[in-house]
Amino acid sequence: MITLNINHKNYQLGLKGNETLLEVLRDHLGLTGTKTACEESECGTCTVIVNGKAVLSCITLASGLTGDRIETIEGLADGENLHPVQQAFLDEGAVQCGFCIPGMIMSSKALLDTNPNPTQEEIEYALDGNLCRCAGYLKIFEAVRKTGREMKRAFAVSDKN
Amino acid sequence: MLLNPLTFHTPSTLDEAVRLYTTLDNSRLQAGGTFLLNSLKLLKRKGAKTPEHVISLNKIDGLKGASASNGELTIKAMTTISDLYSSPHLQGHLSVLRTVCKNISTNPIRNMATVGGNLTCRYTWTEMPAAMIGLGGRLHFRGRDGATQTLDAEEFFKNGAKTDKIFTHVTIASDPNASVAYCRVKKSPNVDIPLLSILIKTNFNRNTFAHTRVSVNNCVAFAQRDHKLEQFLDQSVCSPDIAQEALNHMDESIYETRSNDYKKHMFRVSIKSALRELMEKNR
Repeated sequence: MITLNINHKNYQLGLKGNETLLEVLRDHLGLTGTKTACEESECGTCTVIVNGKAVLSCITLASGLTGDRIETIEGLADGENLHPVQQAFLDEGAVQCGFCIPGMIMSSKALLDTNPNPTQEEIEYALDGNLCRCAGYLKIFEAVRKTGREMKRAFAVSDKN
Repeated sequence: MLLNPLTFHTPSTLDEAVRLYTTLDNSRLQAGGTFLLNSLKLLKRKGAKTPEHVISLNKIDGLKGASASNGELTIKAMTTISDLYSSPHLQGHLSVLRTVCKNISTNPIRNMATVGGNLTCRYTWTEMPAAMIGLGGRLHFRGRDGATQTLDAEEFFKNGAKTDKIFTHVTIASDPNASVAYCRVKKSPNVDIPLLSILIKTNFNRNTFAHTRVSVNNCVAFAQRDHKLEQFLDQSVCSPDIAQEALNHMDESIYETRSNDYKKHMFRVSIKSALRELMEKNR
């Protein structure tokens, strides 16, 4: 049995050792927000955050993640309250078919957690592993910028107080 | 299941990893896993034999991180590409490694992939081999019998990058007087598949090239030095014509290997560009 910490919750799992994190999330735990597409590290739909960094769950063996902090798309919202990144994606109309969006959001969150005021170049660099076949990149980038501005404003307010 | 059944090992020390590696048959080491996992999936799809044991090096803290001391940069094998990119120790001519890291794949891959994996995976098109050869890197290994081995990067890749040991770290001497230029060409502007890369390091002695290393990655064979071009440059004084003249002194056997006209042209463009960049820095 191994223990995985996913979205601040510990899961005890009897794994054989050859399961990818993507398989464990979707097939063992029913966390289907993380998507399956290419399954060979090319598209980014399977992006999750491990120890604060965006990684591809389709090429990560789950058994190697004991002691690590795993965040998936399901862990972002606080009840009915969407995470600022999620809200910005909705507000900016960044979601078309929606398939790439969980991966895009996780990459965006990983960026903004360490760099709340990214430049356009930094946003593109952080999201260069996430493909969008609907070509919705412009609105996705704007959503990330908007979230950054909101976060900057929130920090300014809390500093003032 | 995407992968065949296997036993996954997560040793927490290098000694334990060596013990597993020496005692388990049909085992593979896993660094970041960015090459290995896709390889295992492909082998399964083809119905080919896959390793029964995978030994992850990811839980060995002593194999992570970059540091600088005594005039030497040390990069441990399990340092991720993104961690190396943001290392404050990439100073002076070693800052070229930041450019090398930036060129590697995509963000999530850079967060997972390691310097060690990039150097020892035996894929000929990876970025780090040419960089380490050009910078004079020395690769350190821990053997099956616990003994250590050190090889110049050039020697390691000349021998086909084969090893039965665990790569632990690479060391690069700091050289405050060195100038470095790095040029990389992709197969297409839109798809980041490398076509070639060139790294040239030299120590200008007033206006003359000195101790020059020209490291070439043609992506279809292991990276190697162009000694013929190095010899020419080390006799040469900086001048507006030298970049063009250098093209007559290339070891063509390196650049001809499975190269079409476009690739040969881009080799020449890259060498000229790198030399001009170096001479500009020397002004």
